[in-house]
Amino acid sequence: MPDRFAFLRRPASLSARVTGLVGIAMMVVLLLFSWVSVGSLDRHFAEMDEEELGVIASSVIRALGEVQDGSDTQALRRAVRGHHGVYYYVADAGGKTLYAPKDGPDLASFARRTPPVPLADRQSMTIWEENGKSYRGGVIQVGGDTSLSGTYTIAVAMNIGGHLEFIRSFKRIQWWTICVVMCIAILVAWFAVRWGHIPIHRANEKIRAITSSKLYLRLDPKAVPVELEETIASFNDMLGRIEDGFEQLANFSADIAHELRTPVTNLTTQTEVALGQARSADEYREILYSNLEEFGRLNRMINDMLFLAQTENDPGNLNLESVVLEDAVRGLFEYFEALVEERGVKLELRGRTTPIRGDREMLRRALSNLISNAIRYTPSGETITVRFSQNDRDVIISVENPGEKIPPEELSRIFNRFYRVGHAAHRKGEGAGLGLAIVKSIVEAHGGSVSALSDEKLTKFYILLPLTES
Amino acid sequence: MKLLVVEDEHKTADYVRQGLMEAGFVVDLARDGPDGLHMATTEHYDLIVLDVMLPGMDGRKILQTIRAAGNQVPVLFLTARSSVDDRVQGLELGADDYLVKPFVFSELLARVRTLLRRGGSPIPHDRIQIADLELDLARRRATRAGQRINLTSKEFALLELLARRQGEVLPRSLIASQVWDMNFDSDTNVIDVAIRRLRAKIDDSFEPKLIQTVRGMGYTLDLPDA
Ligand SMILES: Nc1ncnc2c1ncn2[C@@H]1O[C@H](COP(=O)(O)OP(=O)(O)OP(=O)(O)O)[C@@H](O)[C@H]1O
Ligand SMILES: [Mg+2]
Repeated sequence: MPDRFAFLRRPASLSARVTGLVGIAMMVVLLLFSWVSVGSLDRHFAEMDEEELGVIASSVIRALGEVQDGSDTQALRRAVRGHHGVYYYVADAGGKTLYAPKDGPDLASFARRTPPVPLADRQSMTIWEENGKSYRGGVIQVGGDTSLSGTYTIAVAMNIGGHLEFIRSFKRIQWWTICVVMCIAILVAWFAVRWGHIPIHRANEKIRAITSSKLYLRLDPKAVPVELEETIASFNDMLGRIEDGFEQLANFSADIAHELRTPVTNLTTQTEVALGQARSADEYREILYSNLEEFGRLNRMINDMLFLAQTENDPGNLNLESVVLEDAVRGLFEYFEALVEERGVKLELRGRTTPIRGDREMLRRALSNLISNAIRYTPSGETITVRFSQNDRDVIISVENPGEKIPPEELSRIFNRFYRVGHAAHRKGEGAGLGLAIVKSIVEAHGGSVSALSDEKLTKFYILLPLTES
Repeated sequence: MKLLVVEDEHKTADYVRQGLMEAGFVVDLARDGPDGLHMATTEHYDLIVLDVMLPGMDGRKILQTIRAAGNQVPVLFLTARSSVDDRVQGLELGADDYLVKPFVFSELLARVRTLLRRGGSPIPHDRIQIADLELDLARRRATRAGQRINLTSKEFALLELLARRQGEVLPRSLIASQVWDMNFDSDTNVIDVAIRRLRAKIDDSFEPKLIQTVRGMGYTLDLPDA
């Protein structure tokens, strides 16, 4: 069943991420800005109003001082001049109205329901709504001191409809501005990301041009933005590894073709010559036998190559068990006994190891290849030593034999397939040159490594196997 | 001994039939699955050589049907390139042995003989006598013409293997695997040397020579051209 929601689990696209983030950031910033500016505008108006109302209250108090008994409403009416939308109300201590404005809010009831404060306290102004209009105002109690004879309650108020309307339209404009700015910002961010991706697209096109026949091509890490430099470098590394693998494979195929061609050509020639004239049955038999031997060699070589291909392609295919290496080597010594005695050499086992986890048959095969090589190259009368040693992480097995020195430049290639020292390729008794390659592939499948040393006296092959297979 | 070979590859089938016939067996050949099943169920065979991949019906199915009918004839399975699954499945379905394709004929012949022997009369367990060579299997001693011959235990094992399978050509790989448990291609020189040393002990100072070399194939122990 196709997974219809796979796109939800996929990480969000880079443009979406950047655009979204920029959008959110812009939104927060703009909202904050709007909140601060509206707030300060609000406060500014409030201060202005309070100051004005204060002035009015002062004028009223002054007028009250002049009329003394407060009965002269004319004087109170004249107390404030030149202010618009401002209202005040005066009552004496008994609550009797001395002055009330003709229009505007019902200040008498406002004065009654609002607790009075001293003049100095401006913060206690309130805002209320009446008949569809908005007012700011406050109630003050004055008197009881030298300048006034009695105590009075004064209510002052002003119509702040204009201010509120101003703030409302300011908010509206700001809102629209925010929307437009947001849109522009998001659009710009999106374009920026797209534009920022151009180098990636360009690199991508170059990558696409690297076909299997052009694996030598590399991308220039300096030609891309610094952020991509590392990626491009890793990509180049990977390409290098692939190229190596490809080359090895190509070489291997070439080697195979070459190695197979010689015996097949020999067989063909031999058969053609044999058929060239009539022969006796014995002669034919002889030729067939000889062919059979050659076929046998070819067969072994092909089996070895197959084994190599299998262990290298599927190194995990091991039959893991606990292997006592000493026992394995002793078994091999028994196998080689006859050959060793005939060659007049000796086999010796030194050192001990703890059992390791591995594929017994494979490890025996590897060791057998090393021992068989050693027997072949050890002069008569000498001794071949298989030596075990161990540290806390690895087991080291060395197969050492006295013999001719292998030149260093050859030593480094000795584990390659088909490699034979000194072009020994077709000397009689020489193998196909796959023995050491098999050793290497087996050991590497076990997570270990191989190496070789050679000087005038001794040639040593080392196998290093990890004690715990990870 | 009558054998059935079920194999669709023409060349392989033909040389297997010819080889088995020349080795003294009566051989029937089926070239596809349904034919093979028909012949296997209607006639009596001592052994069936069965390919896994067959047109019409695959080898596993044939094997299953034969076994389900209660027929216990030994079956040698021919499996494709070392696919472990095939092998395991074949043995689980009741095959008696398997051989990985491509194989060499001598290997097939050796397996066929082993399987036939397994079902047939058991080999005498305590002594084997060939001409004037005598093997005392219980005490692991060999005498030739009444003379005691000193053999190492591996030499005795080698001689025993050859003697038990008198007249069969044993490939070097089979000898290595049976005597030394070397189940992989290894230095086959070793076998040649071991045989040479065995010969020196049991053949060199006696007549007739019993161990024969079959060039390109292996060794056999037999009376010369009887
Ligand atoms: N112990 C040794 N002393 C000197 N040279 C050696 C030794 N082991 C290997 N060599 C050299 O390394 C070459 C490669 O060895 P390798 O085992 O891979 O191939 P081979 O023995 O020639 O053939 P094969 O093992 O496939 O039958 C040999 O041809 C030989 O020249
Ligand atoms: Mg070798």
